[in-house]
Amino acid sequence: MIIRNQKDFWAGLMFMGFGFGMALIAVLSYQMGSAVRMGPAYFPTVLGGMLGVLGLVIFVRSFVSRLKAEASTVRMAFGIGDFVIAVALFAVLGWASKALLGNADYGMLAAAVLLSAAALFLRPEARPLVFIVTSCLVFAYLLKPLGLVLASILLVVVGALGGHEFKLREVAALSVALAIFSVLVFVKGLTLPFPIWPAFLE
Amino acid sequence: MEGIFNNLGLGFVEVFKLKTFIIAGMSVPVPFNVLMCLIGVILGTLIGVLPGVGPVATIAMLLPITFNLDPIGALIMLAGIYYGAQYGGSTTSILVNLPGEAASVVTCLDGYQMARRGRAGPALATAAIGSFFAGCVATLVVAMFAPPLAEVALKFGPAEYFSLMVLGLVAAVVLAHGSLIKAIAMVLLGLLLGLVGTDVNSGVLRFAFGISELADGIGFVTVAMGMFGLAEIATNLEQKDAREVFTRKVEHLFPSREDWKRIWAPIVRGTALGSALGILPGGGALLASFGAYTLEKKVSKYSHEFGKGAIEGVAAPESANNAGAQTSFIPLLTLGIPGNAVMALMVGAMMIQGIAPGPQVMTERPQLFWGMIASMWVGNLMLVVLNLPLIGMWIKLLTVPYRMLYPAILLFMCVGVYSLSNNPFDALLMALFGVLGYICVKLECEPAPMILGFILGPLMEENLRRAMLLSRGDPSVFVDPVNKPISFSFLLAAVLLLAIIAAPAMRKRREEAFAAEEQL
Repeated sequence: MIIRNQKDFWAGLMFMGFGFGMALIAVLSYQMGSAVRMGPAYFPTVLGGMLGVLGLVIFVRSFVSRLKAEASTVRMAFGIGDFVIAVALFAVLGWASKALLGNADYGMLAAAVLLSAAALFLRPEARPLVFIVTSCLVFAYLLKPLGLVLASILLVVVGALGGHEFKLREVAALSVALAIFSVLVFVKGLTLPFPIWPAFLE
Repeated sequence: MEGIFNNLGLGFVEVFKLKTFIIAGMSVPVPFNVLMCLIGVILGTLIGVLPGVGPVATIAMLLPITFNLDPIGALIMLAGIYYGAQYGGSTTSILVNLPGEAASVVTCLDGYQMARRGRAGPALATAAIGSFFAGCVATLVVAMFAPPLAEVALKFGPAEYFSLMVLGLVAAVVLAHGSLIKAIAMVLLGLLLGLVGTDVNSGVLRFAFGISELADGIGFVTVAMGMFGLAEIATNLEQKDAREVFTRKVEHLFPSREDWKRIWAPIVRGTALGSALGILPGGGALLASFGAYTLEKKVSKYSHEFGKGAIEGVAAPESANNAGAQTSFIPLLTLGIPGNAVMALMVGAMMIQGIAPGPQVMTERPQLFWGMIASMWVGNLMLVVLNLPLIGMWIKLLTVPYRMLYPAILLFMCVGVYSLSNNPFDALLMALFGVLGYICVKLECEPAPMILGFILGPLMEENLRRAMLLSRGDPSVFVDPVNKPISFSFLLAAVLLLAIIAAPAMRKRREEAFAAEEQL
C-alpha cells in the first residue's frame, strides 16, 4: 500500500483518534440513558462515532487519492516521533514535579525549556512553533513568582527567538516598552490582579 | 417604517448618552459609548491594516478585558473591530498586494494593479466610500430585518433550534476551504470539544481526566486564541517575510468624475449582494466579497479590465464585505446563532456579560439591541474619517516589520488568557490548541468550522435533549412537515445544501473557485 495523500492519511488518523477515543471514553465512563432521557454519554458517543467514521473515510481515501504528490505532502516542522517524545517529556516532568513539589507547574516549564533547547539544535524548522509555545508557558508559570515586568520581558525575548532575525537592541527596546505598557494598561488601567515585581521584593 | 426610526432614535440616544466618571476628584461627563465605538473602529482598522492579525484573534484577545466593562460599551467596541477591519484590510490589499484581512483577498487583484499604475489614491478612496455607503445601508437592513426575524424566532422550540444549528453548521462547512469531508470532521471535533466539562443535566464531569480546571469546560477564548492566534503566528514565522510596500506618497485621493460614473453601480450591487450573503448562516464578510467580485466580473461592461486594475473590482467587493460584516449580526441578534467565527466570539462576549443571545434580547434589552445597531452607523462615519483624511498614518504603520509585532500580540494573548481565571492552566491549554491549530493548518483542516461547532456543541445537546424529551423519544419531531414545518425545512435545506455541494459538477466548481482564490 502506498500512501498517496499524506495530509489525508494523518488527518484521518487524528480524527479517528479523537472520535473513537472520545466515544470509547463516553461509553465506558458515563451513563448512556435512553433517547427520551439522554445520559451524559449519549451525545458524545454519537458524535464521536460519526467523527471516527469520517476519519476512517479520510484515512482510506488517502490510499486512493489522485492528487499530485506536491500538493499532498505534509510540510510539517516535526515528525510524529518528535511529537510523541514531546508529549512524553511534558507528562513525565509534570508528574515528577507534582510528586516532588506538589504542583505540576515547574515540571511543565522545565519540559518546555528543554524542548526549546532541543529544537534549537535538532529541529531548527520547528523553532517558531516551539519557541512561541514556550514563551506563553514561561509567561504563565512565572507571572506569579516573578511579577508582570520580568514575565513580559521573558516572553518577548523567548518569543523573538522564534523568528528569523534576532536583533538584540531591537528586542531589548521592545521588551522594555511592552513591559511598561502592560503595567500601565493592565495593572493600573484595567486593574488586573497581577503582581508587578517579584514576590521576594515586595 | 416609523417604528424603525423610533427604535433607531432610541439607539442613538443610548450611543450618545453621557456617563459620569470621577477623574481626580471631579465628576466629568464622558460620551462613553461613542468612545468605545471609536476605540473599536481604530483597533479594527489597525488589525485590518496589519497582515497576519485577524479580527477573530483580536476579539478573543480582548474578551477577558471586556468583563469589567459595561455590556453596551463592550459589545459596541467588539462590533467596531469587525467592521473596522473591513476598512483597514483594503489598504493593505491595495498598497502591498497582501490581504490585511481575509475578506480583502479579492481586492488585491485590481486594487494592487491600480496602485502600480499610480492610482492608489482613487483605489483607497473608492474602497472607503463603498464601505461607507454599504455600512449605512447595512445598518438600515439590520434595523429592518432584525425585529420581524426575532418575532419568528420567539416561537422556536428546541426542535427548531436544533435543526437551525444543523443548518448553520452545514452552511459553515460548505463555505470552508478545501475538502468538504474534513470540514465536517472539524465541526464534529468542535462539537465534541465543546462538551468537555460538567454536563448540565446530570452533573457528571465529562472528559476532564481528573483536572479540576476543566470542570467549567474549555474556555472558547482559549480555543480561539490558540487555534487562530498562536497557530497563525507560528505559520507566519515559517515563511520568509517578503513584503513590498508602496511607500511612495499617495496622491490624488479623490476619484475623478469618470471614476464616479463607473463605481456607483458596483457599489450598489456589492452592497445588496453583501447584505444578503451576510445574513445567511455561514456567511459574512469573506463570502460577500468573493460573491460580489464574481458577480461584478460577469455583469460589468469593463469585465475585460478585471485583474488589470478595474476600479469596479475594488468598489464591489469592498462594499460587499462591509455590508456582509454588519448584516451577519442579524442571525446573532435575532436567533442567538452565530453565522461565523467572529459572531461565535460575540456570543461569548454576550455570555460574559450575562446576556443570553437570542430573540429575547430585543424585547428585554432594547437599549442594548438598538444601541449596538445605531453604533454601527456612528462607527462607519468615524471610519470614513479615519480612512480617508488620515490614511497616511496607516500607510506608515505598514512599514513596521512583523518581528516587532508578533511579540506584542503574544504578550496581549497571554495576559488575556491568564486573566480569565488567574491560573497558568489556561495558558497551557491555549498552547495546546496552538499546536493543534498548527497541525490542522498543515493537514489542510480549516479551524473556522471547528470554532463554530465548539460554541454550538452544548447548545445543540441541550436542545436535542429537550426536543426528544418533549416528543417522548420520537425522533420524527425534527422532520415532521405538518406539525414542525420550520424544523423540517431547516433540515431539508441542510440536506439539499450538502447534496448540491457533494454533487460532482458542483464539487468541481467549488474546488475551482477555491483554487482560484489560493492563487491570489
